[in-house]
Amino acid sequence: MDRPDTGKDRGLSECYFQHVLENGMVVLGERMSGVESAAMTLLTPAGPDTDPVDRCGSATVLSDLVLRGAGGRDSHALTDHLDRLGLQRSSSLGAHHTRFAAAAIASKVMRGIEVYADILRRAHLPPDGFESSRDLAIQALESMEDDPRQKLMVKLREWHLPSPYGRSSMGQRDHLEKLTIELCRDDYARRYRAAGTILAVAGRIDFDELCERAESCFGDWPEGEELAIELMPPPGNRHHEVQQSEQTHIGIAYPSIPELDEDYYAMRLAMEALGGGMSGRLFTELREKRGLVYNVWAGYTSLKGLGSIMGYAGTSNERAQQTLDMFIAELHRLSDGLAEDELDRAKVGLKAGTIMSGESTSARSGAIAYDYFLRGRIRTLEEMKHRIDEVTLDRVNAWLAEHRPGPFTIVTVGPEALEARA
Amino acid sequence: MSLSHHTTRLPNGLEIIGEAHPDSHSFAAGLFVRAGSRDETAPINGVSHFLEHMMFKGSGEYSWQDVNRIFDELGARYNAFTTQEMTAYYANVLPEFSRRTIDHLAHLLRPAIRQGDFDTEKKVILEEIAMYQDDPGHRIYEKLMELHFADHPLGMSVLGAAEVIERLPRDRMADYFARNYGPGNMVLVVTGRFDFQQVVEWADERMGQWNGVRRVRRADRPRPQKRRERLVDPKLNRHYLMAMMPAPPVQDERRYAAKALSDVIGDAEGSRLYWALVDNAIAEEADFGYSPHDGCGAYYLELISDPDRAARAYDIALGELGKVAEDLGDDEVDRAKNKIASQIVLEGESPLGRLRSIGAMWVYDQPYHSLEQDMRILESLTAESLRSLVADFPLEPTTVVELTGTGGAD
Repeated sequence: MDRPDTGKDRGLSECYFQHVLENGMVVLGERMSGVESAAMTLLTPAGPDTDPVDRCGSATVLSDLVLRGAGGRDSHALTDHLDRLGLQRSSSLGAHHTRFAAAAIASKVMRGIEVYADILRRAHLPPDGFESSRDLAIQALESMEDDPRQKLMVKLREWHLPSPYGRSSMGQRDHLEKLTIELCRDDYARRYRAAGTILAVAGRIDFDELCERAESCFGDWPEGEELAIELMPPPGNRHHEVQQSEQTHIGIAYPSIPELDEDYYAMRLAMEALGGGMSGRLFTELREKRGLVYNVWAGYTSLKGLGSIMGYAGTSNERAQQTLDMFIAELHRLSDGLAEDELDRAKVGLKAGTIMSGESTSARSGAIAYDYFLRGRIRTLEEMKHRIDEVTLDRVNAWLAEHRPGPFTIVTVGPEALEARA
Repeated sequence: MSLSHHTTRLPNGLEIIGEAHPDSHSFAAGLFVRAGSRDETAPINGVSHFLEHMMFKGSGEYSWQDVNRIFDELGARYNAFTTQEMTAYYANVLPEFSRRTIDHLAHLLRPAIRQGDFDTEKKVILEEIAMYQDDPGHRIYEKLMELHFADHPLGMSVLGAAEVIERLPRDRMADYFARNYGPGNMVLVVTGRFDFQQVVEWADERMGQWNGVRRVRRADRPRPQKRRERLVDPKLNRHYLMAMMPAPPVQDERRYAAKALSDVIGDAEGSRLYWALVDNAIAEEADFGYSPHDGCGAYYLELISDPDRAARAYDIALGELGKVAEDLGDDEVDRAKNKIASQIVLEGESPLGRLRSIGAMWVYDQPYHSLEQDMRILESLTAESLRSLVADFPLEPTTVVELTGTGGAD
């Protein structure tokens, strides 16, 4: 098949559901067989990319503060209530969103939706809670200094991506220190808004019930105004952070195509052959043949309209230069194309991963939410399988020949800087 | 959860356990070996984990390239792990690859351990050890285990020390393999979608000729002594504290109560330590957990904070541990039970999740129990049963380790 078949609003099979409320909030559903659970992903457009320029870290403080009492429940009552429902939950930040997730027996997740409506719309934002949320955000920054791998990934994004997309979601210490509860409340009012929010639920669910609940909880939520983002280039493409660590941590990034590019699947398969699986090129050349690393990987990552390849290797300091050189050499070798068997394995790997993700309600609720955000629609598992299958070796290799890796951003954390010969 | 349970034993002693879930999209298979770092001696400490890596380096017929290539041809999600008490090898695949997966696991577990591969992989192991040295949480945990279990082998590191790994000869590993990897010392577990009779036939064909007996593990009980130690590393920014105290062993029915109790005390959200320490930002993290082991168990407390708040944080944590038995309420126990019930449901939907649980049951000599049985035991827990557990296993730290750049809790 070419396209997914028809559903309620548009183009989807009976297992999928998609509905846009009048205020612009999106409601998505995926009905899964053989499960008792459901999982919910809520994306709100309060990502670090809309942190005001002098308040980096506002989104992360808010993501903690909104949970400290909402609607008719104070902080304790709110947490106790979510615990009583048995919700396994998390909150986190991506570049564009604050993300809340929860999973449990399906009926409990459905009851949790109204609590999250309170959190998104009627958070108390108490002053003493603000002090603690801000304090925890500053402590998290301090902890990052003890974790060279985490620091590397934060710095790699900062030096590779245009600002504000590359901004650390953890914020900046001097900005956090200047933040006030009033500024946070103002931010909450502007950034927690209906248009741009996506609610995705996957598992043992009933679409009519989901739709009704979403309407009653969010239907009268004001649409809000989209905040303009001005993109600025990153500060440069070479950076070293001195740290007396046991290993040198190496991060490499370069631009790739966006998710909607017609060659998206060809590119994903090429990256799978490079960095996925233990027979992938990086694992084979750097770890298996030479024993340079324990941990090495590279893969595609995407922001709205902006794709990147990012990779990591951790190695002992005296072998770091050799590791970096080998890593770059493997990236360049991609331009010569893949062998048939490499593509075959990449296809099997990507397809199996896709199909097996269909067993996890949490994985599916997250996947359909991000699909909608990046593509404006849900991809069904069938569609992904089909698109992977139709990629030919010629197409992958033509794409690789035309899209030579680079320019590279190279960031290192360790005792000594390396020479970037790329 | 319409799961059906099967079990059988091949003539050579290899036990096979299956839990079928006909709605699954996938098949998972794993071999769980009853051998880990506690089955080692000091001169070969780290060999279980190093051997786990060597399994992926090929059998007599296969090279390491073949091993990796075949797993990837199956589109498998595959991995292995080593703990103090077991080593496990597993793969999760689409059902059409079930047979080849059993076949491949059989190859995997008969390693050639070639000298050249051994020398290359030793470098990878040393990199792994170095990587964990950059992780303060791992460093403090290893020190805590070493002090808490003192001269008992449970206190030995899973990865081993770099100096020991550097000196380890290939033949000591081969010898360790021969003693520990007999069919009597391991179990094959399958979960997800499969036909059990078929799996047994395939396993018999590929694993039926293995031989070797079950090894008897040193059964002496650890005797934790009161110990406290502070490690200083000037490059660290934060203050790390871990404390440990005895808890029920894995074979003890009270492990369910121990799990619920540790959630009440130190779950990441909504627990007593959360409200006492994290809600007000005295600590960035304050966790309390339960690690069941073979014949013994431990609770652990973990605090991460600014150095100048560390002493206060630890005092508050001790205060919370001290009063649990007095004021434990039904409502908080019910909340913990509800969260665990969700974990059980979600685990039941994951063939890999069930695989690990069933493998661990076997490694610890426990009869198979289904998720429904887990659920029933969980349901039966009350505040009273948790209080009586505290009476048997008091919440008083025996071993405390701090890792800090400068000051600390004194």
